[in-house]
Parts: sequence; C-alpha cells; structure tokens
Amino acid sequence: MLKRTLYLLLLLALSLLAFAPLQAQGDTLNVAWPYQVPPTGHFNTFASGGIALGQYQDLHEPPLAVLMWATGDYAGMVAEEFGWDDDGNYVIKMVEGNSWSDGSAMTADDLMATFNIFRLRGDTVWANMSGIEKVDDSTVKFVMDSPSSLAERIILTTNLRPASVFGDIADRAAMMMSGDDGWDALLQELTEFRPETPVSGGPYTILPDTISEANLMMELNPGGFAGDIQHYDMVRMWNGETEVVTPLVANAELHYITHGIPPTTEEDFANRGIDIVRSGMNNGPGLYVNHAVYPLNLVEVRQAIAYAVDRIQNGVVSLGESGVAVEYMTGMSDGLSEAWLSDETLDSLNYYEHDLMKAEELLTGIGFSRNDDGTWVDDNGDTLSFELTFPQEFADWSAAAENATAQLNDFGFDISARGVQFQQHPQDIYASNFEMAIRNWGLGDPIPGRSYLQAYNRYNGQGDLAGEGGGAGMNFDNNVDYSGGMVNVFDLSNQSSQGVDKSAQAGLVTQLAISYNELLPAIPLWERYTNNALNRNFIMVPDSGDSIFANFGGGADNWMTTLILTGVTAPADM
Amino acid sequence: MTDFELLDAGHGALEGLHSATSKLVPAPVENFYKNYYVRVFAQAILTIWAVLTVTFFLVRQMPGNPIDVLIEQILTQEGISYQEAYDRVAASFNFDPDATMFDQYVDYVGDLLRLDLGTSITSPGTKILDEIARFLPWTIFAVGSGFLISFVLGIVLGMMMAYYRDSVLDHTLSLVSSFFTGVPNYIWGLLIIIGPGISWKWFDVGAARGTYDPGLTPGLNAAFIGSAIEHALLPIITYVLATLGSWMLSMKSSTTGVLNDDYVNVAEARGLKDRRIITAYVGRNAMLPLFAQLSISIGFVLGSGVVIEEIFVYWGFGHYLFQAITVRDYTSVQGAVLILSSTFVFSNLFADLTYGLLDPRVRISGEK
Repeated sequence: MLKRTLYLLLLLALSLLAFAPLQAQGDTLNVAWPYQVPPTGHFNTFASGGIALGQYQDLHEPPLAVLMWATGDYAGMVAEEFGWDDDGNYVIKMVEGNSWSDGSAMTADDLMATFNIFRLRGDTVWANMSGIEKVDDSTVKFVMDSPSSLAERIILTTNLRPASVFGDIADRAAMMMSGDDGWDALLQELTEFRPETPVSGGPYTILPDTISEANLMMELNPGGFAGDIQHYDMVRMWNGETEVVTPLVANAELHYITHGIPPTTEEDFANRGIDIVRSGMNNGPGLYVNHAVYPLNLVEVRQAIAYAVDRIQNGVVSLGESGVAVEYMTGMSDGLSEAWLSDETLDSLNYYEHDLMKAEELLTGIGFSRNDDGTWVDDNGDTLSFELTFPQEFADWSAAAENATAQLNDFGFDISARGVQFQQHPQDIYASNFEMAIRNWGLGDPIPGRSYLQAYNRYNGQGDLAGEGGGAGMNFDNNVDYSGGMVNVFDLSNQSSQGVDKSAQAGLVTQLAISYNELLPAIPLWERYTNNALNRNFIMVPDSGDSIFANFGGGADNWMTTLILTGVTAPADM
Repeated sequence: MTDFELLDAGHGALEGLHSATSKLVPAPVENFYKNYYVRVFAQAILTIWAVLTVTFFLVRQMPGNPIDVLIEQILTQEGISYQEAYDRVAASFNFDPDATMFDQYVDYVGDLLRLDLGTSITSPGTKILDEIARFLPWTIFAVGSGFLISFVLGIVLGMMMAYYRDSVLDHTLSLVSSFFTGVPNYIWGLLIIIGPGISWKWFDVGAARGTYDPGLTPGLNAAFIGSAIEHALLPIITYVLATLGSWMLSMKSSTTGVLNDDYVNVAEARGLKDRRIITAYVGRNAMLPLFAQLSISIGFVLGSGVVIEEIFVYWGFGHYLFQAITVRDYTSVQGAVLILSSTFVFSNLFADLTYGLLDPRVRISGEK
C-alpha cells in the first residue's frame, strides 16, 4: 500500500514536468492588460465588459491622433489632416487605403458611426458639438458650438469603430433626439449588442478562439492602419493584474507591463536585467483637508503642514524612485508647470521646501502655541488633533499616509491614521465625512486646467454624481481671494480648457497656479511616475532618454502603442 | 414554585398550544409535514431563501455600487475627468442606482420563481446562467478532483498511521500531515509557482495558466481532455497538499479509536484475515465520522477555490464570485450565492438522509 501511495505521489510530481517548455517566442510581442473572458467579456467596446484592452485598444481600434507630450503637438494616425476651419469647426481628413479585418474600407462612415454612438451614450464631447457632417468619403466636419482644446483632444484621441458593425445602431441614433420615444430602448440595444467576431482596423486583430483567462492572441491585420509596417506577426496579450503578471515578467515570458509594481519587485526585476521605464503621470497622492474643520480652513495651517512634511522622504518611502516629490506646488504636475508657466512665474512661486522653522513661525503667527509635551494647540486651546484616512488597499498611498502622519506628529500635531476600504473612501470624501485624507491630485491629461478638477470639482461637492448623497466634499469655497484678486477657480479651470488661443489659456492657467500655490486647498505630496517593466532582451525600443517616454504609460498617448503604430517597436534580435 | 414545577407548567402550556393549533391544521397537511423527508426539504428551501434574502440586501450595503467601481477604475487608468467617466459608465450599465431596494427585491424574487437568474449588471445582456455555466464546471473538475484524491489518500495514510502507531512511519507521517495542515492553500500555490515554476523551471508558468490550451474545441476529444487535465494539475496538487493532512489526522484518530473496540479484538481472536478486519471491521467503522465531515466539505468545495483559481489563473466559480464582488455586480453575486448556498444546504441534507444507510445503529435508533 505504501509503495502504491509513493508511486502516486511521484506520478503527480512528475506530471509537473508535462508542461511544454517555454512557448516559442518567434515574432510575438508579449504585453499585458486585464480583460474578462466570454461570455462576460465580448466584442462591443462601447459597452461595459467589452474586450477593449486599455491602451492596446489602439492596436485594433486605432486612434485618430496621438499627442507627443514632449512637444505638445499631435501626430496624425488615422487622421491624416486635422484642424479648425475658419468657421470654428473641426475638420478631419482620414488616411485612405486602410481596411477593416472584415474587408470593409475604412472611411468617413466609420467616424460618423463612432461619434453618433457617442451621442447616443451621452459622451462629454457632444457638450461642445452641435452636429457632425460627412464632407466626402474620407473627410468629416465636427460642427462645434465653440472651439476648444478639450474638444479637440477628445476627438483626436478617439478610437475608431467600424461602421460595418455599429453603423445600423449609429444611423438610427442619428435620426433621433435624446428623450425621443425609443431613445432609451436604442441605448439598451447598444449595451446588449454582441458582435460575433471582433473587427479590427488597426495593425492587429483579436483571434476569438484564442481567448482564455491566461491570454489572447492578436494576429497581424495587414490591411489595417499601420499593418504594413509591423515587425511582429502576433501579439500575445497576457491577462491579469499586477500580482498575476509579475511571475511572467520574472520568468521572461512577458516583456512589457504598465502595471504599477512595488519597489521590492522593481529591485528583483532590475536584478534580472529588466529595465524600469519612468514617465511622469501628472498626478499623485495629496493631503486633503476638510475646510469645514477648524483650523484646517486657515491657510496658515495648510502652509505649515506643507512645510512640515518632507515630500522627498514621503515619496521615496511610498514608491521608491517612482514617488517624485512635487516641487512647484501649483496643483498640476511640475512638467505641466514648466510647460505652461513663464520662468518669472515659476520663480515667484513658494516651493514649500521642508522647513520646520517656517512651519513653526506660521502657527505661532496666528496665535497657536505648544503644550508642555510639545503638542500644538490652536488659539482656542484645542489640540491640533485630527484623523487622517486613506484607502487601505493602496500600498503606496497607505505608506504616504503613515509617513505624513509620523512627520506631522513629530512636529507636534496629534494625528491618527486610519485605513478605509478603498471603495468606501472616496464616498467618505464626497460626503464630507473626513478631517484629513489622502486622495489624488492632478490628472493624466496634458490640458492643465483639468488637473484642478480633482480639488475643485470631484472632491468638492460632486458627491451627488457618485450616488451616495451629495455631500459638500472638502468644503472649499471656489470663490477665492488671492494676490491676483477675486476669482472662481472652478470656472477658471473650465475656461482654461476652452478656446484655442494658447496664450490666453496660459494666462488663466497662471492664475490657477498662483492661487493654488498661495492657498493650498489640498497639499500635493509627490507625483507618481510609471515604473513600466521593459525587458529589452526581447523588445527593441528607443533608449530611455528618448522624448517619446514623456508620453506616460497609461490611457491615451501611451508611448508603447505609439511606437507600435509607427512601426518602431521590434524584436530585440531583429 | 420550584424550577421543576415551572418547567412542568411550561411544558403543559406548550402541549395545550400544540393541541389547539393541531385542530386548526387539516390532518393531511399535518401528516404531510410530519413526513421527515418533506420537513427537511422544506427547511432546506427556507434556508436557501433566507440566505438569498440576506445576501440581496447585504451586497447592496457594500461600499460603492457598480457605477462607482468602474468610474474609479477608468479615472485611474485613463486619466479622464470624473464627469467624463460618469457619463460613459452610467450609459453602459444595466443598473439603475435610483431604483428602490424593495422594487429590486420584488423583481429579483419574481424572476427567481421563473428560474430566471437575470442578466449581469456589468456586462449588460449577458445571462447569469450562461456565466455560471462557463465557470462552474472547471471548479467542480479541479477542486472536486483534488478533494477526492485528498480524501482517498488521507483515508489510506491515516489508517496506516493508526495501524503502525508509534512506529517511524507513524511519526514521520504525523509530522508531515501536521505541516501540511498548517500551511494554507495560497501559500502552497505560491510556493509551487516560485519554486518548481520560476526558480527550477520544471514547468512553464505561462503555459500552465488557464483551463485548457487556446485553439482547442471543448468536447469529448482527446486533445481537449488531455489539455484540461494538464491545466488542472497544479490547482489539484495545491488542493491535495492543503487538505491531505487534516484527512490523515482525522482518519488516524478515528481508526485508533476503532482498533481498541472489542469487536476488533474478537475478530482477531477468531483468526480472520487482516485484510478483512481492515476493510470490513476497522475501515468501515472508522470512516463513519469522516463521512459526515466529507458531506459538509462537499458544500465548501465551490467556495474554497477562490484563491487557488486566482493564483493559477484557472478561472472557475471562485474567480467568478470574487470578480462579481469586486465590481459590485449584484445580480452575479446573487446567482453565485444561490449556487453556493444550495450546494451547501443540499450536501448537508444528503448527509442527513444517507447517514442512516451507512450506520445501522442510527437507523435503528431512528426507527425506535
């Protein structure tokens, strides 16, 4: 009996060897993005659950253009020519000669279908548009209420969908107005629409039979956009979040990920010869305060907090080299500050470098003092005692919260940090149910005014949209009085995205930056940089100093997909 | 009045109440309910309904809703404004956050009575039954296989430990089983990936993922079956390693108790062969306590695969439930809990109904 049991165990152990050796890599690009398998996952990328593949959507539903972040100029992709006409409308002429994987030609009809579906869904872009007109087979005019940089960006970063698949629903939507009989039914029909096969207009198309929970394969689509300049025959899209894809990167089966990885994993990857690519993401964690809680509503207290927290230490502790301390403290990233503010403005800013003496002066200047044990008390005799909440599942934000708490307590505050379930935490902020909190500042978007939407909109009275009550958020009065006078900062944020006069926009952005720098409605701690793992033993892309890496690694304008669409990414042994 | 008098009075009152209510209930109905099988089946249905009702309201008390969850994901991944994210998400969901909970509950129960589990909130139009049919078989196959292997091995090894108690074999197996019991299944999963997978490269970590190789057609063909078995091996091994120890120790304990019983000594004195004593006398009686444990464990089979399925990217029912909770897909959670609770309740019911068949003592005492 014992022998039989041992044989059985041996058999099980040997079965581990049954798996084939490493899959042949050949000319296959191995990248990763999480998706759901059918039937939950499907090929309607307009609906929830669609297998869009995040930034890699560009590979099967190509974008009209990509913004080159280093220069601020758009590089045309499917859009060959694009810009404002004399009437203030936006005109796009598409590249001719491309086709979808179902054989249909890529024409203006696809663009019409895509934007008519957006209208049916109520997408934001239609807030600036009154119509869309087909000029000829390759040209479309977007009839605008008023020109706007924001509308231009949304249009150009749109992923094109095939009219052969969505045209029927799009055409019916074009004939209707929101609120008409049948409008809601058509919207439901759209969300429940399930194309039988994926139809690609980009260089690669998804092979439905290969979709598993492990990965899916995309094969070259020679007739699609950029299909004729590719160096890979196939793309293998590995499925999963960070903890799932990490072993594959370590095992050299997966060669590029945009997933955020902890510093210890970074170190391990570096030891295996894997490159870590860092690009600024224009956002990061900040210290938010509830302005209804005295004395956090006092600007001197917020400035003292800014001086008392060593942001360099906070960033390194939280995210290693990818936690880069914010320097200019303008409410937008340092990169955007340098791109949009004059040198004179930058010099005039308060950088709030770590300085406990200045923090002390600010607090004593408003009548605060220390107890015998060194703890600060306000002018009412109350201890500066607060609770700081943070989303407990976010490792880097948790570290930022605990480090900031320790630094502030060392300085004489009495702060207790408390982790909150990550889905509950924003709801608490929307509902004003907090004193201090770690939430994100900025936005991964090149339009600077949009960075302020977090502080002045999302976390400041937008709770009703979250469906949890409609609280006042951080209770900050958007009508501010600063050295430049009285302004409404929320209105300024929106206005700065409108129009196409960049110098006029810069003027508004300057007001936003200076007022934020003076008032610190929320205190930015550090900017999150990507830590994309790139195995250059398998993938050849430009050296890390290249300007393309300013295109951060998530969402639109991703540098990897841009390099694929332009035929630069290639096997390392080519 | 003493405590005993109080108890007597209470008992008398209850009998009177029972007598009074008996007169109100027609005799056939009462007799029908008195039937043991009808009663336990009715209790099982009632239990499942209670679980579903509690689940229905509890999942809606979780922080956030399906819309919030996707908004946060989009905001993080795509760097768009909150307003844009909300516009996009709200239009693409089969979910009305403004509908009252009561209305949702009435709709849900009505659909359930028509055996309709509804459609997914986060993948509008996709039937919950289709999703469950996609994921459930893989868990039954992998975790069920691991469960059976673990049980059989545990029985055999546990009996050996008891027979050769205080020997080197017993001490070694006791140590091993204690160690196996103490290490949770997710640790075993990670160890298998990191050790044999990444460090020693005994197998290809990526190729082992999934439930079968891409490109195969599911069905009764050799290629698919071979691939399915191959992909299930790692989850099965993990599950065996994580549960084997407890079966071994339970069986050893049970067998040791039986070995000291008189009827075993009598059987030995009668000169019966060891093989017959082991199977007919010791094994059968020692297994009785484990049978109840086995039946209850079957109920846990579906729910116990969550972590293993995530680690090996072997998506079965556990992954489905985990994903549904993560994205707050209420209808999917309800569908999954219905399957889970039904499995658990009916496996217990099965144990209740069949225990008497295995143990005549229970059957006879029941008849008395």
